[in-house]
Amino acid sequence: MSLLEINNLTTQFKTNQGTVSALRDVSYQVEAGEVLGIVGESGSGKSVGMLTLMGLLASNGRVTSGTIKFDGEDISPSNLDSKKKRNDYENKMRALRGNKMSMIFQDPMTFLNPVLKIGIQMTEGILAHTKCTKAEARKRAVELMKQVGIPSPKNRFEQYPFEFSGGMRQRIIIAIALACNPKLIIADEPTTALDVTVQAQILELIKKITKDTGTAVIMITHDLGVVATLCDRIAIMYGGKIVEEGTTDEIFYKSKHPYTEGLLKSINNSEKDTSEPLIPIPGTPPDLLNLPKGCAFMARCPYTMKICKAQQPVTTKYSKTHSCSCWLYCMDESYITVS
Amino acid sequence: MKVISQFLRFDGGDIINEKLLEVKDVCKYFEVKRGYKEPQYVKAVNHVSFEINKGETLGLVGESGCGKSSLGRTLLRIYEPTSGSIKYRGDEITHLSKHRLLPYRKKIQMIFQDPYASLNARLTVGEIIAEPMVIHKMYNPKHRIERVQELLKTVGLKPDHIRRYPHEFSGGQRQRIGIARTLALDPEFIVCDEPISALDVSIQAQVINLLEKIQAERGISYLFIAHDLGMVKHISHRIGVMYLGHIVEMGPSNEIYRAPYHPYTKALLSAEPIPDPKSARTKKRILLEGEIPSPINPPKGCPFVTRCPYAMEDCQVAMPNSYKFGDRLVACFLYSPRRLRQRENFSIEPLLNKKQED
Ligand SMILES: Nc1ncnc2c1ncn2[C@@H]1O[C@H](COP(=O)(O)OP(=O)(O)OP(=O)(O)O)[C@@H](O)[C@H]1O
Ligand SMILES: Nc1ncnc2c1ncn2[C@@H]1O[C@H](COP(=O)(O)OP(=O)(O)OP(=O)(O)O)[C@@H](O)[C@H]1O
Ligand code: SF4
Ligand code: SF4
Ligand SMILES: [Mg+2]
Ligand SMILES: [Mg+2]
Repeated sequence: MSLLEINNLTTQFKTNQGTVSALRDVSYQVEAGEVLGIVGESGSGKSVGMLTLMGLLASNGRVTSGTIKFDGEDISPSNLDSKKKRNDYENKMRALRGNKMSMIFQDPMTFLNPVLKIGIQMTEGILAHTKCTKAEARKRAVELMKQVGIPSPKNRFEQYPFEFSGGMRQRIIIAIALACNPKLIIADEPTTALDVTVQAQILELIKKITKDTGTAVIMITHDLGVVATLCDRIAIMYGGKIVEEGTTDEIFYKSKHPYTEGLLKSINNSEKDTSEPLIPIPGTPPDLLNLPKGCAFMARCPYTMKICKAQQPVTTKYSKTHSCSCWLYCMDESYITVS
Repeated sequence: MKVISQFLRFDGGDIINEKLLEVKDVCKYFEVKRGYKEPQYVKAVNHVSFEINKGETLGLVGESGCGKSSLGRTLLRIYEPTSGSIKYRGDEITHLSKHRLLPYRKKIQMIFQDPYASLNARLTVGEIIAEPMVIHKMYNPKHRIERVQELLKTVGLKPDHIRRYPHEFSGGQRQRIGIARTLALDPEFIVCDEPISALDVSIQAQVINLLEKIQAERGISYLFIAHDLGMVKHISHRIGVMYLGHIVEMGPSNEIYRAPYHPYTKALLSAEPIPDPKSARTKKRILLEGEIPSPINPPKGCPFVTRCPYAMEDCQVAMPNSYKFGDRLVACFLYSPRRLRQRENFSIEPLLNKKQED
């Protein structure tokens, strides 16, 4: 049994312009001790996916279908049609969050309280979920701050978030996430605000934690360098769907989907010559208010065919771990249902 | 020189040898009082000097907390400099009053690190982008709307997003809204504080190409702060490497990447994550050990001394000078004339390899 099993998850937002389909029929698993990378364009639904999983959707969001199983427990956020079901769900999630399942947010300031001292914010979670004294919690917090590379942690304890640089705030959040030895850490762009030397340290730290404690990590990132360094498997998202999934090597060396191909081409690293122009994927992300009937990548895909416009591509499997949803690779006509 | 530069027309991406910004010995200290008898200071920016030419991009890299954002904000006078001088087109702007600074505010803009905090949640996207034009009384209302739509297209959003609110957008989309807003005033100099870290790679490439295109067309100068070394190298003509408030190395970007001089620059470049799983598995990193110094209580000598694998006795007591080699500057005793006489050349690679082997 996997640590986390997500099946057919669909999330929508009601806005005054109509319904935004942010997550469409998403399924994946995460095993204990593994690092799954979720990569995708900005607006492709990566954060919404994680918020859905944590039960932290904005009030205009609704999970219309899907099931989630975590550590043997059913935490599906769909079909919460009675008040009792909703309350049960809320209670379950409250006990899980920050404890067995913790999250590192994209933006540290949405998480840190600007008027509370850093030290208080760090010990809060430790005190809430573990039985320990204030002094023990403080000791643990200082230890965690050292672990994530905050200089003079004892002095920093008394400071407020605005007195920390962007990267230092993020390290505090990572420290808070590690506080209760979670089974799953969901990290939404945890290192984008960090410089590469600290990033390298944090990635080493995450690797070490997964190896030592069997904690699984879902790593959302734009940075393919981070993915290549850290992840065991990768899921590529586009327009609210997972369009390709595979081991890190399968994605980097045997990628199938045209979007993945474009993504790999747009990589730039310092070994490249500066005079070479960058190759972006042309066009703009799909409008989630108004998704095409067929493949969401259609408007930007260099291989678009007739069928792509008419019908959603089906998923083809290449190995136990590698699958891709694109008509280019589905030469079996029996899947085609429109004429 | 002044006369000649009037005849130099700007065409397509060349740097014009005309100083736009001159920064001399700028310091920014923050006071921290709490619990101590004497006030203490965070020395976020410490005696920094550099120049930026018209049409040039200066990249700024360095550890988180080393003072990059503080420096950017001090240049814009969002923070008041503690000491030093900032000149814009030869005019001293360090101590100008708010009112007299206004014309410069229009010309010097900033793209912020944090796309969440920098957008007003109660305004629509259209109002956000138009706001600076309204404040500076530019264009009539109809023309403004056209311009907003045009700007939205430039940054890869849809013109009809104009009536939506920031919370309806993802982090990356919000950053693009911020960029559109910055471009609204036709600035000459933009401090880009990690403008792309919230964006995914394919859009990063679009934004970088966009910033380069704007620069080629209008001759804008950038101070480009980022953690992504590949991108900084791509967009920058020159690079400054910052450590604990000091600029420790500066020079043409290709040269610095090809042959970094300062020990910190070497460690920084070696830590870059490579977007290729096979080489990522084999890559050797210089992992920095030792205490990370605090800007409240910086080391007495070289700021890097606590973690530097080459640290010598001199480094504990004195701050190294900036040594100049052609276009390059490096602040490290390894490059003092005395040390250089002992070594055959600039390379300190052998020492490094030896360190890694033990
Ligand atoms: N509360 C909301 N109301 C309406 N639409 C929303 C809401 N939250 C998110 N969305 C929309 O859902 C889509 C997915 O957003 P999400 O934040 O998951 O993107 P993302 O993949 O995390 O992007 P990024 O990499 O930029 O953070 C976006 O198009 C966004 O505009
Ligand atoms: N308003 C402030 N008051 C007190 N200290 C501050 C303030 N702003 C920044 N600092 C301190 O100044 C130092 C430099 O911070 P700064 O935000 O400039 O770093 P940075 O290089 O931009 O880092 P990052 O890459 O993490 O954004 C840090 O030690 C920070 O704690
Ligand atoms: S299904 Fe068609 S449009 Fe979509 S990615 Fe594949 S080839 Fe391109
Ligand atoms: S001056 Fe000394 S401590 Fe500083 S970087 Fe050079 S060798 Fe290292
Ligand atoms: Mg996101
Ligand atoms: Mg900063």
